[in-house]
Amino acid sequence: MLAEKDIIYRADPHRPSPARLVGVQPLAPEHALFQFRFEDPKENERWTHRPGQFVMVSVVGTGEAPISICSSPSRRGVIELCVRNTGRVTSALHRLKEGAIVGLRGPYGNGYPVEKMKGQDILIVAGGLGMAPLRSLVWYVLDNRSDFGHVSLLYGTRTPEDVLFKGEIAGLVGRGDLETHLTVDKLVEDGQPWPHDVGVVTGLFKYVKDRVDPTRAYAAVTGPPIMYRFVLRELLALGFGKDRILMSLERRMKCGIGKCSHCAVGYKYTCIHGPIFTYWDAMNLPEMI
Amino acid sequence: MLVKRPPTDRPVFGQTTGGEHINPSLQPDRAVSRILRKKDMDAFLESVKAFGSLYGPRQVGPNQYQLMPVGDVAPVSAECRRTILPPKKFLIPARDDLCHFSADTGYRAAEVYTGERVILFGLHACDIHALVTLDLVFNGKYPDPRYLARRQALAVIGFSGTAPDGNCFCHAMGTSHADRGFDLFLTDIGDEYLVRIGSSLGDDMMRARVDLFGQVEREHIDAYKERSDRRQTQFDDTVVEDLPQILELEHDSPIWRELSERCFGCGACAAVCPTCYCYDVVDLVGTDGITGRRVRQWDCCLFQNFAEMSGGFNPRPNRTDRIKHRYYHKQVHFVERFGRPSCVGCGRCVEACPAEISLKDVIAAIRGRSG
Amino acid sequence: MAKPRVGIFGLTSCAGDQLVVVNLEDELLDIVGAIDLRSFIMAASHPVEDEFDVALVEGSVVTGEDEERVKDIRAKSKLLGAIGTCAVWGGIPGALNHVGRNTLYQAVYGTEEDLFKAREARPLRDVVKVDFSLSGCPVEKHQLVQALLSLLHGDLPSFPTVPVCQDCRFKENVCLLKTKGQLCLGPVTAGGCLARCPSHNIGCEGCHGPLDEVNFAAEAALLEEKGLPRERIARVVRNFAHQADLARIM
Repeated sequence: MLAEKDIIYRADPHRPSPARLVGVQPLAPEHALFQFRFEDPKENERWTHRPGQFVMVSVVGTGEAPISICSSPSRRGVIELCVRNTGRVTSALHRLKEGAIVGLRGPYGNGYPVEKMKGQDILIVAGGLGMAPLRSLVWYVLDNRSDFGHVSLLYGTRTPEDVLFKGEIAGLVGRGDLETHLTVDKLVEDGQPWPHDVGVVTGLFKYVKDRVDPTRAYAAVTGPPIMYRFVLRELLALGFGKDRILMSLERRMKCGIGKCSHCAVGYKYTCIHGPIFTYWDAMNLPEMI
Repeated sequence: MLVKRPPTDRPVFGQTTGGEHINPSLQPDRAVSRILRKKDMDAFLESVKAFGSLYGPRQVGPNQYQLMPVGDVAPVSAECRRTILPPKKFLIPARDDLCHFSADTGYRAAEVYTGERVILFGLHACDIHALVTLDLVFNGKYPDPRYLARRQALAVIGFSGTAPDGNCFCHAMGTSHADRGFDLFLTDIGDEYLVRIGSSLGDDMMRARVDLFGQVEREHIDAYKERSDRRQTQFDDTVVEDLPQILELEHDSPIWRELSERCFGCGACAAVCPTCYCYDVVDLVGTDGITGRRVRQWDCCLFQNFAEMSGGFNPRPNRTDRIKHRYYHKQVHFVERFGRPSCVGCGRCVEACPAEISLKDVIAAIRGRSG
Repeated sequence: MAKPRVGIFGLTSCAGDQLVVVNLEDELLDIVGAIDLRSFIMAASHPVEDEFDVALVEGSVVTGEDEERVKDIRAKSKLLGAIGTCAVWGGIPGALNHVGRNTLYQAVYGTEEDLFKAREARPLRDVVKVDFSLSGCPVEKHQLVQALLSLLHGDLPSFPTVPVCQDCRFKENVCLLKTKGQLCLGPVTAGGCLARCPSHNIGCEGCHGPLDEVNFAAEAALLEEKGLPRERIARVVRNFAHQADLARIM
């Protein structure tokens, strides 16, 4: 006997929809951009997501992994995922050829609170692969530019080779409606052409600190754990409220729909309550970063 | 004008089911509770088999029971306090196909359960609460049709006739009594069972052998109340009222480390827990190399790599973190998410733990002053 | 696509894991048809040993020849998998590692002259890089099949690392350790066997080897409380995995 009588049967949320790999572009060592389109045209039409959301992508027979969507909902047509070759599923993805069938389901997670971010300054801080979910936000903001105040992007990688979306990022530098600053930890060889900064990403704050009003701004930060420690300190020093700092979190996931519990951190499930958490959330959850 | 509608299928004890708006002639024989004589139990269970496959607790070892199909011999074991595995085995099998896949066409959902009704006899109030708790998880924004199909096919005949043992702490968890979540609920009141009817199906089951059931008389009501009063005194209660707050305060208590030195990390507690639902999902390729199955199987947050990510980062790398996570998930985080703990105090984890760790002792220790 | 070149080899062992391969009646033809089996002495003469995509190696490294052999296989193979508890943990050849080979030699052969150049038994990973492991004494047929199918699919074999207890609970077995006070290593032993022995009322002897992180100390203390002598516990633990945390038991 069911406790809740009015249960609506829907399609099994565990079942991925067939999608085709329509494009692969190498981005950096071990990183590539994968472009997908659902086999069912209706699904492509229906598809919509928020910046910061993720999909569960299945390589048929290998398994499933959560990957954040790096394309913007404001640019329709294909779903883009930037994937680092790091595990069983991601290495299988990297082996796939264009035209292969994969499984996709989603979008899942909360995504960035773009409604609340309207009318505010936006400071985007990316480290390494953290650029992937933030790229979605960058293009969303640029495509709805009049909704936002001052917008800046600070992006740090290990070396110039590790910069993701090189052509795109180069195109952003010098845009009047977006202030972009890049830095690398080190140059691969001396004298390598790199007309940007060398040093940690926090070194870029000096360029934007006088243009951002922290009381009416959101900071979106994504990067490796070590980066958070320094960036958070910098943001707090600038006067950002803890609930105005947005972080994107990665966890092991098996379902993406708030059930399997692999991604639980404290009372939050990364898959349904995240992956975007405020620093205030993170402070109060164990094991967060 | 009177609104004509059929009688509600779930009358609630002590309440009318719609008052004056329902044409009284439509509920000529309002059924809330009936009386079944103990000697008629076997005959009644025999008639219940017409409604589906009947399962009940059967003894498989000293103080060990399993929910097994009821054959010709009634297995009804009034002594059964808890079965080794809880009823969740009927809803989320230990291993279950989620999807079938093929390299050319991707994944399609595996068939949901369409088999006949499964009637579970002998569930105690704690296990009924556990089913209602699992419903919270498997419904929500993303209802799980595999779970729900099995759930819809499940009928529950609850039973209360056993004094609690030292491992029971349902009373503390507020689950020693069930007011919903069953089709019928039998309470031992001496020579008879007080049978509470909880659903339309339960009513049908009763009416199939209406000859066995008598009306509730004053003496039965008094007998029930007397039993209820007696029962209040049978639990040595652990205090859990503000446990989430105390656990938050004792997050860094050395108790967790001490516990991790005793715990084997074997996961028996989670496997037998009626509300532990964590699962793993794996793809298994068939011998043709192209098609295969995506299987969901029980997992446990105590296992070392439960939260480990593909790059090797593990948010809970040591056993202390994982044990703490398990306790906090059930007693704190579930409360924050669903308004109640997911523990129902059935005592299975205590009984199953090879390291003899008792949740009651842990709670007592955490409430202690030494911390 | 070219079929993957596979070699199956044995070091010091009973060849039981290789026998499991031969005994894969239902799946053997499908699998053999999908691979280019270049070297498998147990089943076919005239091995070709130039390069392998996958090498499956059984047995532990006991002699100098074993060491040379596995290094040679490693050099010729893209992927090397340890199959069976001997290859993964040292297994039974290592059960008396703590006594020392010279003493054992003297006891068995009455001489200290090292006829076989035998040393303490070591698992493969102490000698070469191992890409994947499949323990069991012998390996489980269903896991071996799954591993081979994963490899054919292009993935490294991966199995949940859960203890024997998990399957024992699935089967609703009465717990031998808890209820009967029997010596059962289920809580500290890698599963995959579907709790074969406990399901027949035989305590787990740990033939799949320990899980990565196990609490031997707690289980030993518990068994001792139940009246089992420490030496016996240690002996059972050492049978299959001599590197298990003995220091904490003894």
